[in-house]
Amino acid sequence: MLNILLIFLALLFLPVGLKAQELPSPYLEELIQQASTGKLHQDRYWHLLLHYRKDFLRGYTSEVDDPGFFLSPNGKTDPEAELQATLTYFFSDTLVGRSKQPAQCAFVARYHWLKEKLHFHESKLFPQPCERFDNWLKELNPASITFIFPSAYMDNPASMFGHSFLRVDREGQTAETRILAYTINYAAEVPPDAGIEFAYKGIFGWYKGFFTTIPYYMKVKEYRDIENRDIWEYRLNFSQEQNHQLLMHAWELGNAYFDYYFFKENCAYHILSLLEVADPDLHLTDQFHFSTIPADTIRLLIRHKGLVKEVSYRPARSTLLKRKRGALEKQEISFLPRLVNDPHQAEQSEFLQLPQKRQTFLLDLASDVLRYKGATDQDMAEDYKANNRSILVKRSQIKIPSAPFHVEPFSLSPEHGHESLRVGEGVGWRNQEIFEEISVRAAYHDLLDPDPGYTQDAQIVLADLRLRHYHRRNQFRVERFTFANVLSLAPIDSLFISPSWKINLGMNTVKTSSCDLCSNGHANAGAGGAVETQVFQREVFFLFGELDANVSDAYDEHHRVGGGVSGGVMATITNNWKWLVSAGYMGYFLGDRSDDIPISVGQRWTLAKNLAFRTTFTHHDRDHEVLAVLHGYF
Amino acid sequence: MAKKPGVLVSAFFLVMGMSGIALGNPPNDGPGCGLGKLAWAETKVSKNNIAPQVMMATTNGTFGSQTFGISSGTSGCTNDGQVWASEKVNVFAAISFDNLAQEMAQGQGEHLTSLATLMGIPADQHPAFFAMTQEKYTTLVQAGEPSPKAVVQAIHDAMVDHPVLAQATTSK
Repeated sequence: MLNILLIFLALLFLPVGLKAQELPSPYLEELIQQASTGKLHQDRYWHLLLHYRKDFLRGYTSEVDDPGFFLSPNGKTDPEAELQATLTYFFSDTLVGRSKQPAQCAFVARYHWLKEKLHFHESKLFPQPCERFDNWLKELNPASITFIFPSAYMDNPASMFGHSFLRVDREGQTAETRILAYTINYAAEVPPDAGIEFAYKGIFGWYKGFFTTIPYYMKVKEYRDIENRDIWEYRLNFSQEQNHQLLMHAWELGNAYFDYYFFKENCAYHILSLLEVADPDLHLTDQFHFSTIPADTIRLLIRHKGLVKEVSYRPARSTLLKRKRGALEKQEISFLPRLVNDPHQAEQSEFLQLPQKRQTFLLDLASDVLRYKGATDQDMAEDYKANNRSILVKRSQIKIPSAPFHVEPFSLSPEHGHESLRVGEGVGWRNQEIFEEISVRAAYHDLLDPDPGYTQDAQIVLADLRLRHYHRRNQFRVERFTFANVLSLAPIDSLFISPSWKINLGMNTVKTSSCDLCSNGHANAGAGGAVETQVFQREVFFLFGELDANVSDAYDEHHRVGGGVSGGVMATITNNWKWLVSAGYMGYFLGDRSDDIPISVGQRWTLAKNLAFRTTFTHHDRDHEVLAVLHGYF
Repeated sequence: MAKKPGVLVSAFFLVMGMSGIALGNPPNDGPGCGLGKLAWAETKVSKNNIAPQVMMATTNGTFGSQTFGISSGTSGCTNDGQVWASEKVNVFAAISFDNLAQEMAQGQGEHLTSLATLMGIPADQHPAFFAMTQEKYTTLVQAGEPSPKAVVQAIHDAMVDHPVLAQATTSK
């Protein structure tokens, strides 16, 4: 009777899910003891595999939010308990985790690492066949890992900073068959009907993020063909063993979801965490405290000497179109619109007199144009498709393969870009008074920052703070805080027709007849158009219609709301010297009825990759200011 | 690029800032083609419905969400997030149909090379394969218009009559 009671008690204390016939063996006790002596639960690699981070109380909390990822009920916050539970489950064939496999297979990277550290006698653990993992790995057939960066996409707010994911390159893969490889992609899962709550839910971790393995050809189609984003590919210099470690852990993450935080724990962050598992000597995620911007992670990877083996470029369809169009001979240019509108032009003798190679080049370009138009102009899509079919029939009748065409990107790859945190120190003169200024900007790039590495004509400024000291009155003040200032110029031509737009939210300091230096909250939005010329190096002229609202003691009734127009030019004179000039008229019809003629003239010299000098002159109604400032990027 | 989000909508979304959010149609258990997911444990892979489903996803619109939709919630994936071996060529042809059509007419390209590879055609026979698909472009694409799966069949049939490529089909 006592025996039965003892067995009953013993069963009570067994880990959940273990069956009676799997009573823990003395070998398990031995392994737990060994792990405890070796303090394996304090090992960096254990922390990487479980995504543990030091928390405020100096303990550990895992970033994984899926309870199924942990084998101990306290696993999220207790690395030691999780390690013991993991060892215990390695003696069992109980199906665990989201993927419903024995622990040895569901957590194959933990198994591999603990086996190595504790020198398992595998036969004593009842080794489980992990066919699903073996098949998965065999299908991936990994030879190397490539870090992929589709560049910024201004027309989708969630993609303004670009994206990043990994591609698992196959054994025997060539440049031409890369698209068949699988990717490892981390993304938040957002219901398709998500409305405005998308914003705060995305920022504050209300969405779950999952890892997926989507074939690369689908990703290429999404980014290159549909969203017109250039893609940069960085092949990583991992050993085969490191590739396997990464993939074993990726397999484990099929059991996990993470709460998705837009600014920090985003795609870029979790991709870095996978790279750390491949090579624990890399310290990547702990370089990012508040936000993880994909382009910053690339610069970090590049700084690790020898980590990136090869960089390749996959142009967006829009880039390809622009470059091919630029490669047309003068007498060929007029053929393009004719072919696009009427494929029968390819039968005209005038066209047939061109050399065969030029005929194929023009037909291929016409087909690219028609596909671009078909994807961007829904109303006419069927017409473009029909014309494209006719063009391709004509093309197939010229029995030579198209010659390869090398496409140069318009902006250099992101590792050539300045860092995104900006610190500035300046002096200036405002309404006959001298001031000094320091400024800090969290992210990311404005139109006068050095251009290389950033999407052309796109500005995203987030959290930009300027502090000033005015000499005569000996006053310190928060001169300006920009919450967000985003602007996208989209030069229009015969092929590319999209609006330019801008939006600006924040506070600044104004001077009016009634108030000398007054804080002013402002919101501004505008839409318009832009055109491009190439007189010096490159100039973009723009024109906006704007709405503007201000809240300040400087105004009657403490506010004013109005609208107006503004226009200007952004001119790149040399690689290092750029101008931005604008002027406008704003009339305010609500609150303080007033008007304003804002003028702004700025120029920037790039001194080094992460150092630039700029001067600006701004004018408002009764307010004139000149500022010279030195910017460093960190 | 189909529709620009309005400026004001952008303003609200702006603060979202960071990348990596994908709009998708969430099944209960995470996105499709997910790693180690069991969401498709009960999904029957029907030979007939994969290509149309995938096509629906791609031709429906031009936003990223639709492309993402390809891989979520439809069949064609194994439990562990990979494309069924038997459907690899069909899924690829369905997703890449426009690119394939263009490259067949042009007699070269990465999608065409990848298709040849998936069909098991040895690399030294690729030029012959490209020439054949260019030669028979009109017939092949017409066959493929109603269903991209049919283009794969049509290519296969064309290869049988080809002096060099016939070998690649029989050896399979």
